[in-house]
Amino acid sequence: MAEVLRESVSPAHLGLLVLACGLATYLWRGLGVMLSGKVSADGEFFTWAGCVAYAMIAGLTVRILLLPTGTLSTTPLWARLLACALALVLYFILRRNLFVGIATGFIALVVAVSVT
Amino acid sequence: MSDSLGAFRNAARESIGVPSMVLAAGYLGFGALASGSGFPLWAALLSSATIFALPGQLAMLEMSIAGTVPTAIVITVGLTAARFLPMTVALMPVVRAGQRPAWQLYLAAQLLAMTGWAASMRRFPDVAPAHRFAWFIGFALTNWMACLAATGAGFALADSMPPLVRQGLVFVGPLYFLLILTGETRTRQGIIALACGAVIGPLVHLVSPQWSVMLGGLVGGTLAWAWARRSARG
Repeated sequence: MAEVLRESVSPAHLGLLVLACGLATYLWRGLGVMLSGKVSADGEFFTWAGCVAYAMIAGLTVRILLLPTGTLSTTPLWARLLACALALVLYFILRRNLFVGIATGFIALVVAVSVT
Repeated sequence: MSDSLGAFRNAARESIGVPSMVLAAGYLGFGALASGSGFPLWAALLSSATIFALPGQLAMLEMSIAGTVPTAIVITVGLTAARFLPMTVALMPVVRAGQRPAWQLYLAAQLLAMTGWAASMRRFPDVAPAHRFAWFIGFALTNWMACLAATGAGFALADSMPPLVRQGLVFVGPLYFLLILTGETRTRQGIIALACGAVIGPLVHLVSPQWSVMLGGLVGGTLAWAWARRSARG
């Protein structure tokens, strides 16, 4: 990889950055616990939150697969789509065998990218 | 209490198999990327322990290498983590059945990842409410430790890992989400929410990359919720 973290970034700065990112992530987790105290498991808010969670994860997943940033963006779209399709087919054919599905997708992507 | 211990053990055993392995594959890729880009091992481990969310960690790594200002990095990482809010809101009422002290719930929230969340939502109907907390901790803590170990292993193995394999490992994370979401979502409204989010999320990303996770989820999820409600009534 050509790009590398600059030498000028001090360990203290880097540590603070990582901790700040950890805190920014935890805010949502903590806020969720706080709000959940006021929610009953069969209430409408709970159902809505579940829908939003599913939609967020689905959106993020499809976005990473279709429009990746960083290291995956150098792989061709067709290779990623082919790997996903093969993984899904084998996963469902083998009665939801996650291991086989994931391994298939991994191998398919590596092979597809290496022949391009 | 012995039953809680049993639930903890069962969950840990279930987690050690494919779920932790697959999650760990993504973190192997992250550790290797960190090593390849001059990111120190301790910082990589610290990020796995404190952020514990792969999309956010990858964004942090890529942006700090690109020299982005720290404030922008923190905001972006924060935005990609917005999913944890509705996930925690949906999980906690089911977990807290035994009325736990608050600090335990706040600690448990740190261990929450997509894998543990999906597994819990799937398994909880079969787990007695009093033992669900122990079950969740057993599963999620195993995930968390596996990810720390994998970050270190990826870092150590980076030099002997071709870039192609690294890319493949980074690809495993979203692929895993794709499979468990399509294969394991049972509720009607869950399926509608997945479909809405899958279409709307990437569309919002084209307009506003920074806000796409949050906006796409809110719009897609609310639409799905309203749709499921209407069709359930009439």
